[in-house]
Amino acid sequence: MRLSTRLILLCAGFMISHASMADELPQRWVSAGSALSEWVNALGAESKLVGVDSTSQHPQSLKALPSIGYQRQLSAEGVLSLKPDVLIGTEEMGPPPVLEQIRSAKVKVEMFSAEADLPTLKGTLEHLGELLGDEAKAVQLFKAYEQQLDEQQQQVKQAQANHQAPGVLLLMSHAGGKPMVAGKNTAADWLLTQAGGRNLATHSGYKTFSVEALAGLNPEVLVLADRSLSGEEARKALMKENPILASLKAAKEGRIYELDPTLLVGGLGPRLPASLKQLTADFYPETSANR
Amino acid sequence: MRTLVKPRPLFIGLSALCLLAIWLSLALGPVSLPLFDTLRAALRLVGVPIHGEGLEQAELILGQIRLPRTLLGLAVGGVLALSGVAMQGLFRNPLADPGLVGVSSGASLGAAIAIVGGSAIGGLPEAFGPYLLSLCAFLGGLGVTALVYRLGRRNGQTSVAVMLLAGIALTALAGSTVGLFTYLADDATLRTLTFWNLGSLNGASYARLWPLLFVTVGVALWLPRRASALNALLLGESEANHLGINVEGLKRELVFCTALGVGAAVAAAGMIGFVGLVVPHLVRLLAGPDHRVLLPASILAGATLLLFADLIARLALAPAEMPIGIVTAFLGAPFFLYLLLRGRH
Repeated sequence: MRLSTRLILLCAGFMISHASMADELPQRWVSAGSALSEWVNALGAESKLVGVDSTSQHPQSLKALPSIGYQRQLSAEGVLSLKPDVLIGTEEMGPPPVLEQIRSAKVKVEMFSAEADLPTLKGTLEHLGELLGDEAKAVQLFKAYEQQLDEQQQQVKQAQANHQAPGVLLLMSHAGGKPMVAGKNTAADWLLTQAGGRNLATHSGYKTFSVEALAGLNPEVLVLADRSLSGEEARKALMKENPILASLKAAKEGRIYELDPTLLVGGLGPRLPASLKQLTADFYPETSANR
Repeated sequence: MRTLVKPRPLFIGLSALCLLAIWLSLALGPVSLPLFDTLRAALRLVGVPIHGEGLEQAELILGQIRLPRTLLGLAVGGVLALSGVAMQGLFRNPLADPGLVGVSSGASLGAAIAIVGGSAIGGLPEAFGPYLLSLCAFLGGLGVTALVYRLGRRNGQTSVAVMLLAGIALTALAGSTVGLFTYLADDATLRTLTFWNLGSLNGASYARLWPLLFVTVGVALWLPRRASALNALLLGESEANHLGINVEGLKRELVFCTALGVGAAVAAAGMIGFVGLVVPHLVRLLAGPDHRVLLPASILAGATLLLFADLIARLALAPAEMPIGIVTAFLGAPFFLYLLLRGRH
């Protein structure tokens, strides 16, 4: 009897201490960053998310959560109404006075860097793992990620040993408007280079190009990063509207590919390696055909 | 002249509406606070020591989020409407709005410089950072207005017509400069700029509130003293002169008050269109053109309209937030049209 009582007490003690440990970890999460939401999901904690911002579009299931609006225009009361324990976001999150108000309501506000490089991602994942109480999984995810990128780089190296890097342009077109071309110092430029392409645009940032300038560069490959341009029909319409596009080498050889534009914002996300591999395969069709 | 509403019932009605708007603005938000908690939190705010579960949170939401926001809405709405009256009086045209003297486009230019070029302006003290946008917007508005006023002056006389044209030219100039900044901006800054142009009472803090309240109270006390002079100006400039009004001084005061008031409002809450143009007009339709009624009634009506608009802005898409500039027009325009059509029959 006495033994069982002790046992029960001991068990109860364990449970309480365990419960209190779990209590310290934030249980209700609000995420204001597309890549961050994806990582939380990849770490198996989607069920902890109670709200996301308007840039968090992946996976699809996130769209069912309450939207806290655009990451730079958060509303203090809106976020607080979700009773979160923690608000995560990139340094783009704001405005600052709202973050201050949220902090003063004893909600943890965790800022991550949106820098697109591996050391930053490592830090981000480690911190997320800590907050979720699953550091091991975070480390494992990062290793796998690093390996995937390594493999992809190998793929690029192999391809470049036998073939010249193709000249590429990445177009973002706001539906109906003139296409904007991704230049240097953009996430798109980094992506193209990483995938083994040679970005022909030399300006910095995203700028609209005259079709003449496009024709002058005559890219071998075009990458379209725009949801309104996905699908064969939309592409045909774009060619019809801009006849010069159809005269480009890329169009003649049918080398126009799509890229999900959400990959271009908010730092390195979990879907990136797969997309990079696909792009590399598209850039070097000969190599991938041989394999 | 016959009016739709006599001054006394108008003021009683507007005050009641304004009080209702204040109450709703304090009581409603994305976080649903029970009425009892709101009242107890209010008592705590004024120093009555009450303790209870969740009261700390309620006090924070009431004191740090909703109260400054409500005060900001009152001040911005009031001062914008008042500036509208001043401009319509100055130009003797009910279609005039504060934008005519360049204060809006100037503020817009200041904001664009701060948002797009902010990081490039190095060497600023860090404590300055959060207020850079507000300061630039305020100075931009004041600067362009001063220029418009200066251009309108010749031989000690201010020509309202020249001022009007100079305002249009400088607005176009400022507009294309903003366009240049838009071209240089990246996607994220572009979005910030767009949102700023739609205005918001979101993130109101006392630090931003005090300067605006100070200006608003000043302008709201000063302008109504010029009600009779504005009435005389309605007859025409030379007529007002003959009635013993210092017309030149009046013009200077009107332009200065507008630049100060709109500049401060825009600095605190971004661009909020429609209020300055339509609220005075609306009040005029209800109560006639007498500035002794028009000035104070416009303050009340502007403040009330903005609070109601803000309620919708914060509740419609909760937990997200809508820019208030979208709502003011959605709310005010149909009502305005109704009054216009009704007046015709």
